[in-house]
This record gives sequence, C-alpha cells and structure tokens, in this order.
Amino acid sequence: MAQEAHGALHDLLEVRGVTRRDFLKYCGSVAAMLGLSETMAPQIAAALEGAQKLLPALWINGGSCTGCTESIAQVDSPDVATIVLDYLSFEYFETIMATAGTQAEHNITKRVEEGGYIVIYEGSVMTGFEGRAQTAGTPDKTGLAILEEVASNALAVIAVGSCAVDGGWVKAHPNPAGATGVAAWLQKQNIKTPVVNLPTCPVNPEWIVAMVVQLLLVADRDVDKFVAATKWVTREYADEVTDASVSLLMPAGIYGQSIHDNCPRRGHFENGEFVDVLGSEQEAMGYCLYKVGCKGPQTFTQCPVTRWNRRVSWCVEAGSPCIGCGGLNWVDNNAPFLMRMSDMQLGGALGNVQPGTVGAVVGGVAAAALVAHGLGMKAAGRVGDGPPMETAKAYDRKRGAKKGGDK
Amino acid sequence: MARTVVDPLTRIEGHLRVEVEVENGKVTDAWVSGTLWRGMELVLQDRHPEDAFWVSQRICGVCPISHSHASAQSTEQALGITIPNNARIIRNIIEGAQYLHSHILWFYTLTALDYVNPLNALKANIADTYALAEAAGTRVADFGAVQKRLAAFAENGQLSIFTGHYFDHPGYVLPPELDLIATAHYLEALEMQAVAAEIIAIMSGKFPHPMTSIPGGTAFVPTEQKLDDILFRLLAVKNFVDTALIPDTLAIAPFLLGAASFGGGCGNFLSWGVFEAADNDPYKRSLPRGFIESAKGLTVDKVGPEDVTEYVAHSWYDDKTTGLTPDKGKTEAKYEEYSVDGKYTWGKAARCKDLPAEVGPLSRMLVGYLSGVKPVVEIIDVALAALSKAAGATLPPTVLVSLLGRIAARNLETAVVAQWTVEWVNELIGAIKGGDSDYFVTARGSDGEGAGLWEAPRGSVGHWMSVKGGKIANYQVVAPTTWDIAPRDDKGVLGPMEQALVGTPVFDTERPLEILQVAHSFDP
Repeated sequence: MAQEAHGALHDLLEVRGVTRRDFLKYCGSVAAMLGLSETMAPQIAAALEGAQKLLPALWINGGSCTGCTESIAQVDSPDVATIVLDYLSFEYFETIMATAGTQAEHNITKRVEEGGYIVIYEGSVMTGFEGRAQTAGTPDKTGLAILEEVASNALAVIAVGSCAVDGGWVKAHPNPAGATGVAAWLQKQNIKTPVVNLPTCPVNPEWIVAMVVQLLLVADRDVDKFVAATKWVTREYADEVTDASVSLLMPAGIYGQSIHDNCPRRGHFENGEFVDVLGSEQEAMGYCLYKVGCKGPQTFTQCPVTRWNRRVSWCVEAGSPCIGCGGLNWVDNNAPFLMRMSDMQLGGALGNVQPGTVGAVVGGVAAAALVAHGLGMKAAGRVGDGPPMETAKAYDRKRGAKKGGDK
Repeated sequence: MARTVVDPLTRIEGHLRVEVEVENGKVTDAWVSGTLWRGMELVLQDRHPEDAFWVSQRICGVCPISHSHASAQSTEQALGITIPNNARIIRNIIEGAQYLHSHILWFYTLTALDYVNPLNALKANIADTYALAEAAGTRVADFGAVQKRLAAFAENGQLSIFTGHYFDHPGYVLPPELDLIATAHYLEALEMQAVAAEIIAIMSGKFPHPMTSIPGGTAFVPTEQKLDDILFRLLAVKNFVDTALIPDTLAIAPFLLGAASFGGGCGNFLSWGVFEAADNDPYKRSLPRGFIESAKGLTVDKVGPEDVTEYVAHSWYDDKTTGLTPDKGKTEAKYEEYSVDGKYTWGKAARCKDLPAEVGPLSRMLVGYLSGVKPVVEIIDVALAALSKAAGATLPPTVLVSLLGRIAARNLETAVVAQWTVEWVNELIGAIKGGDSDYFVTARGSDGEGAGLWEAPRGSVGHWMSVKGGKIANYQVVAPTTWDIAPRDDKGVLGPMEQALVGTPVFDTERPLEILQVAHSFDP
C-alpha cells in the first residue's frame, strides 16, 4: 500500500490539508501533556507516522452516564474516526460497536485470551447491591466481574473521568451505589495491571489521546517503558468502599498544576477585580470568579491550557466558576458550588495537605488560596465581601467531622 | 417458541437488556430492563438547590443540557425566579445545538449500522455513487477516498468497532452505492456532531456537562466574536442537516417501507414542550406541550405534572412506594434476583394519566403537527408525500406510528430545530442591539416546590424539587428513557418499548438485528 512510504497518518493528514507544521505543533502539545520537552515533538511525529498495526482496545462502561464516550467523540487531534480506524481496534465499545449481546461478550472473551490490549474504563465501579448495581451480559454478569476479567490480562487500564478514578459524583453521600474507582477495586482484587487516572467530569479527550500516543507509539506498547517515560504525580486517598489507602497515578503534565495557576483571569485575581454577580458587567470584563465559588485554586488540571471541545472554550471562559470536577470525591468536597470553600482540598504539586490542617492554620479559603500561591496575606484584603462562605458541609456534618475554617 | 436475550444492547446511553419471546418469527412478548442503578435523587438530598443544576445533568452524558435546563427550571419555580429574556434565548440556542448534536449522532453513529453495511460499500461503483448522490439530492463527498480508506481498514483484518458484526444478515438491503454514501456521511457526521457541540461549549464551557444555565439565568455574556463563532458553526451544521441528513433519510426510506408496519407501540404520546416562549406558556413553546391518547385518535389534550405516576411492582424498589406522583416520589431501592415475572429493572414504570406514554421526537412532531405548528406541518406533509410516492399509495399521518415513522420524525425534527436555532441567534443579536444587557437575577426565595418539565432530544424530562430551609428536601427525576423503557406497571400493562417490540419480526434470534432496530429507534 501507498501508506508505507510516509505512514498512514501522513497520508491522511495530507488528504485533509493538515500541514507538516500544524502536525508538528500538535506533536509539541502532546509532548507538553506527557510532561516531556517540546523538543521531543519530532520523535513523537516519527512514532505517529510509523504506526502499522492497530492496538486492540476494550472500552468498558461501568456506572457511567456515557459522557466520557461523548467526550472522546469531540476530539480532533486526531479525530475519532482516525482513532477508531487507524490507531485503536476497539473490539468492545458499547456505545459505538456494531454488534450486541452474546456476540459482543464473545469479543471480550476472545481478546482477553489473546492479550496485548489496553482497557479504557469509563464510569464508577459499582459495588452496591452485591455488585448488582450494574450488570451487563448473560447470565447477569456484574460490572465488577467484567472489570476483573478485562483488567487481569491488559497491558494497562486507563481510568477515564472522575467516576472511574474514585467513584466520581456517584460516590457522593448517601448513594447506596457503593461506587469506587478502578485503582481501588483492582488493588483490593490484587490485580497488578497499571492504572492511569484521568479525572474531570467528563474526561478531556485530548488527555486520553496523549496517553494512548505515549503507550502505543512513544513506548512502543511496552508498559514499563511507558511508565518510565512519563512524568507522574500521585494522589493518595482513603477509599471508603474498599477500606484501604489508594495511590492514584496521574500524568504530571496534565495534573501537576492548579487551574488557578494557569487561569487567563488570574491577573484580575491579583488586581482584586472580581465577579460578584454571575452574567453581570463584571463578567463582561472577564473578572475573576473566585468570589462566586470558583474551585480553580484547589483543582489540579490543565483545563485552561488544553481547553475543551477542540479548544473553543472552557468553563471559566464561558462565565461559570470551576466546580472542581477534577478533584477527588468532587461533589461532596466541592458543593455548594457557588460558595467559597471553608475547607480546601490541596494536593498535587503541594503534596498531600489535609484540608483540615490548612483550614485550621490559615483560617479560611481566601487566606489558604493566597498563601498556597505565594501571594502573601497583604492581598487578602482585596477579596472583600462577596457571596457568603458556607457554614459547614453537609458531608462533614453527617460524619460528625469538624473541619477548620468555618465562619 | 424461544427466549432471546440481548444484553448488552449496544449503541445506546447506559446499560440496557432486552428479553423477548419469539414465536413463528415474531416477537410475542418483551421485557426491557435498565441494568444500572444511578442514585442521583438521593445524592441531591439536603444540598443547595442551585447545585442540582450541575449535579443532576450527570444522569446523562448525551443529553446533559436538557437535564440541566429541567433542573434549573425546577429551582427557579421553587424559589420564585423569572429569568431574563436574554437568558431564555441563550438557553434555547444551547438546547437547539444539543438537539442538532444528538440527532446527528443518533442517526449516523448509533442506528445507521442497523441499516448501513460499510463493508458492502467496498463493492460500490464510484461513478454510480456520484450519480446516485446527485439523483437523491444528497451531499457529495470524495467517495473514492472513503472507499480506499475502508479498503485499507478491511485489508488490515482488524475490524475495530465492527468486530462481530451482523452485516451478512439479510436485513441489510441497501445497494452498495447507498451504503458508500451513508458511510461517507457517517464519517462526516462525526465531524458535524462535534461542531454542534462546539456551539454548546462556546456558550457553556464544555460539552458534555455544560456550566452556565445556572438557576437565575445564564452566566454566559456573549460578545460579538462569540456570536459570530456560534452562527458560523450553526450554519455549517444546518447545511449538513439540509444536504445530507434529510436527503439520506428520504433516499433510504423506500428500502425500509416494511418498517412502516411494525414497531409502533402503545400509541400514547407525551410532550412537555420545549424551546421556551417569551411568555413562558408551555403550550406556546416552539414544540408545544400536549398528550395524545391512543383511544381518542389523533387529538391533543392538555397535560400537567399532576398526571404523572410511577409504579414499581416490576422494578427494584420497595412496593410501598408504588403509584406516587413525582412530587411525593421516593427512591427506596430493593434489589431482588432478576425475574421477568417479578422485578426485572432499575427503571420505574412511569405513566401519564395512568397510561404508558411514548416520548421523543415522534411524540413532539405529532403533538406539533396536530397543534398546527407551521414548519412541523409542512415538513411532515412533504415526508408523507415522498413516502406515499415510494409506496404507491396515499399514506395517512398514522403511518408515522411505526419504526419507520419514529426514525423519520427524529430526522425531520432536526431540520426544523436547525432553522429555529439560527432564528434564535438572530433574535439574541437583535435583543442585545436593542440594549438588553440582563442575563442573571440574584433575588430568590428560600422555600417552595418546582417541577421543571422540558424535552430532551430523546424525550420528556421532568425534575421535581422541593426546597425547605434553603436545602433540597426531595428531588425526583423522570428521565426520557424512564418513559420509553418503562417496565410493566402494577396492572401488568407493558411499557412503550416493550409494546413496540411485540409483533416485530425476527429473522434470526442469534443475530437479533430487528430488535436492535426497534430499540434504537427510541434513542434510549
């Protein structure tokens, strides 16, 4: 075939009018997401162009809303048709696969036997009702059994979206779903397959692509090489469902800095220019949304840089405060969303600072955010009045916990 | 007599199991089961009412806009908020863009593979394909390049999402040239659904899971550049709908006339109405509210939240909670072993005026048609004329109550909504030019009750909220798919999809293509 001269991707891009320059630029952004130097771009380009055989993949939906599948359909670098036709051979992907029922299940069994595949897992791991909170297949196979089956022989599992990372909104109190994350459940089952975690709700599709590119092409499907070649951050949390401490592996290029660190409205924060009323004249000026509850300072994702839906916008640009959907246990920890937080969850680049500790020491999120970002207390006065601080979180009250910083 | 189970029923949102009894090549009984517990209603208890906007939309990753709008409306009703006119228009545009996104995705990505065989497209003659496209008035693509790409893909031997397909099933009846056209548009549709989603992202941060239609109005303040970005994309999507989706539908329909004689279902149709009117009257929404009761023929009745009840005799909930209206509804799970004679689904049996009710584009288009909504009447009449011509007989509107009608209704609605959405962008531009700069109101009460009744692309959605002491005291959702995949109620009456499956011909129970076709027509 003609594609051997320059590789399939090169031909495809040429047909679509993508220039070499655009392509290298894209490879540079992939390098950044992987935490590599942009000087790696030519090597990534070479790897991308040299791809021959598709990597078998199983996309599994657990307790999901299908939002992460929707999200991957929004990617254009490369677009979803290219992923499905030219990169990954999705032998199981409930939302888009041609077949159904017994034949679909057979596709899983066959692939697991043969090995050499990756799993992309979307949705919560549903342990509630003895695993019957989610079933698929005959006879009434639980989602837990499916996860264990596919993960056991996979090269790696990519847990996409906050639900797959730690249970997401589904684990919020008092849902009896028994929702937890892939890493926690595999640890409990003593399955050692590496799990890469990509939180936010839904997942940003460009981050999936970055991981796939890294594993498939840069690391030549070698998982050890993949883990070694990527910079990671780890985030620990105490998982209630499995009653164990879980360490989550996340790519540092994506989850190493806070939204606040990279926010285009950061200048207004430093100037003390805030939006007091949503959709107001202050919003038209693009002021900072911190006073209406923005969780940017405590949320560690690349959103302002990667942006969303082919980079056309992102939450803060459209006028909404960040709700911290990339954080752990994000609904319980971050709601009420329109209030400034009386306790913060800080992690990532700062290490694992317990919210209670931070709150108790600096007394309130304004100070916490400012100290955390090295601005010093003198700026605190600029924050002034605004929507009230929440008094105490329902989540904490129910557990009898007292967290610092409440006003 | 044979029992066939399709689980997982793929190409849908969520997890669905369909069990049918087949006798003499026809379905004689059916049980539709939602096999995933969500627990959303419990998660929302005791939270701030505004938070429901962000959390409750995560019921569905395909129609989060509609859930978020129904939720915001329930909050606004409960707290006595009237949103500014600009916010109303902006929400209509976002909702319209989601309809375009969702319907395009549904037709080409989810259900097309039940009719279109991309491997058969390899046999197409390229010159004939261009001739057919021209005759059908459908969009021309580089058909040769698409075929080459398919060939390379097939030659590689790794079939990806087509692994284990049923393409050798005799139900695939399209000529190779039409398969190639549809496959080319399948690939193009992947692009166009994403462009439609970009419109939402510009106005609401991202899709799925939008951010700005916060109770009180919208947090999005449009700029000239953003409006330009929106209109440019909208026109591209509208062009695709007019030049591919509609002509493709009309080109494929003559091959599927058999599908006009089964898959109809219960014949009761509910629409809460969608796309808000300036005076907030649900009967004046662009697609109005109404209920069609099969026994009364094609007439539209008024309908309200008080007409809804949910039964749980066959659902995994406590029997004590059966027959409640959603404002008093309870979510008390009680899992038992799956049994079609007992409890077999996480879905409740939603009923309207105590009857099973189909929701979705077919319901909206029928209610709109009978209510005299001009663009709806016009496009349905055009489609009926085209179908009549293909069938060689004059077909009445009742022919739409079928598998074919349900497919056609969704695609026709897409064209109507595309036109309206362009008009709403112009309406917004006019309002801003006229000096209207209000987007959000902050004043609100602390207690009350609200029912946000709205329409997602796939059907009627209701969010019921009761607020006490500034916190959510009770929250109940009746989602579109809750209506359509409803199980039997306490009287043993089958739900809409179950009724639609009964009578469906099944050629081969090992490859239950027709069951997929009927199930997918509801876009569950």
